[in-house]
Amino acid sequence: MTAGASTRVVLITGASGGVGRGIAHACAELGWTVWIAARRRVEGEHVAAEVTARGGVGHFVECDASVAADLDRVVATIVETSGRLDGVVHNATSGLSPKPVVFTDVPLAELEDHVAVSLRGLYLLALATYPHLQQSMGSFVVLTSEAGFEGKAKLSVYAAVKAAQRGIVRGLAREWGPHGVRINCVAPLAGTPAMGRAFEMDPEMAARVLGRNPLGRMGDPAADVGPIVRFLLSDDSRYLTGNTLMADGGSCPIT
Amino acid sequence: MTARATTTGTLLIASPVDVLHGLRDALSAELLPVPVCPVGNDTVGFDAAWADVDVLEQWREAASTESRTAAVVVAVWPATQASAPLTSMSPADFARRSEWPFVAWYAALGVAASRCADGGTIVALVERPSPLDAAGWAPECGGADAVEALVRSLARSEGPRGVRVNAVTTPARVAPSHPIAPAPPLSAYPGRIDVEVTDAVAMLLGAGVGGVTGTVVHVDCGRSWR
Repeated sequence: MTAGASTRVVLITGASGGVGRGIAHACAELGWTVWIAARRRVEGEHVAAEVTARGGVGHFVECDASVAADLDRVVATIVETSGRLDGVVHNATSGLSPKPVVFTDVPLAELEDHVAVSLRGLYLLALATYPHLQQSMGSFVVLTSEAGFEGKAKLSVYAAVKAAQRGIVRGLAREWGPHGVRINCVAPLAGTPAMGRAFEMDPEMAARVLGRNPLGRMGDPAADVGPIVRFLLSDDSRYLTGNTLMADGGSCPIT
Repeated sequence: MTARATTTGTLLIASPVDVLHGLRDALSAELLPVPVCPVGNDTVGFDAAWADVDVLEQWREAASTESRTAAVVVAVWPATQASAPLTSMSPADFARRSEWPFVAWYAALGVAASRCADGGTIVALVERPSPLDAAGWAPECGGADAVEALVRSLARSEGPRGVRVNAVTTPARVAPSHPIAPAPPLSAYPGRIDVEVTDAVAMLLGAGVGGVTGTVVHVDCGRSWR
């Protein structure tokens, strides 16, 4: 069992389904306190109940990860209720992420939703949580994507914000490291509702995605991706910062 | 639909900053200025970065319909910038350093794709703090990685019509005056825009690298290896 595992208090954005839910399940297995922050109340409360049922302590807080007041309120609630914050996972992403559009046809106004959730959300979450992570010598994890390494012809905005997250993390790792706070990325390839929608909108995508995957399958959010994020949140990874771990079955040709 | 004229010259789609004049002159390029960032020093919040997105959209639409050319260079650079920890930045700082450059780069690269002739070449020239020197430059690190992904996205979408798309990075304006050890291998660090950087751009525009696309050349005198 991971050292100090039973005392971990973690916040996961966008955890009402998909990869975020899988991470929450993985953290619950070690008895951690998991705060589910999401816009969808019904689904979020369900995931929080699943966390509790699996041995953790689950809480739900309604939150738009692109809104500073929401994040400040969420962090204040966590610290007041749980007494500390050991780990943060920025998993929320724009609802436009799986929408395929040719590069030159993307309305520029649509970029704001991607930027607001992925980049502004990362900045605001860093602002809100850094003082508490300094106190706990905690860990911050950002869910990026292999798209951020290799680009995507019809998902270019998604690919770009995911790449930008890695760059911001590279800077933060050097700014936060001297203060004992670690920050890393995970690039998952997982079978999620969002990926299912992407496959529906681009029928050839499934063949492209699975055809180059050495393991020949999509990752499971809880069994394949969750433990990797949990590792980064735990003391087992205490000498690891500024990295991106590819949880993609060996799919991405660039790391 | 009327076919657009094609020229053999170089188009430089760039921010109107003095430091890029040498590049324009060395390439004998026609300059297409990118609209300047609307986020001022007295701005509060994130909204200013997006309030003028219609202006950028209109610029993109108008610029995209002009004649095509064989070589396009894109450089969306701020006038000035200074190192600062991310958690010390105001929302306006973040909007100025991260959000506006993101949408401006996206618009400019879209224009580049529209203006580049079949079989032509696009080079993105982006500022990138070297990984060892990334502290204080988180938004700029993010911006550089975003451009790298956009270049690869365009390399995929434009490749079928023979267009190559690559990037050159430089830390020329964002390098520390006293870099932490080890010293960069080349004494010319961080590199000169008018010399080493321009040479790399010219190389990627040239005919001798016909099989190269989706790549990134770091012109930082060996400060980073990838």
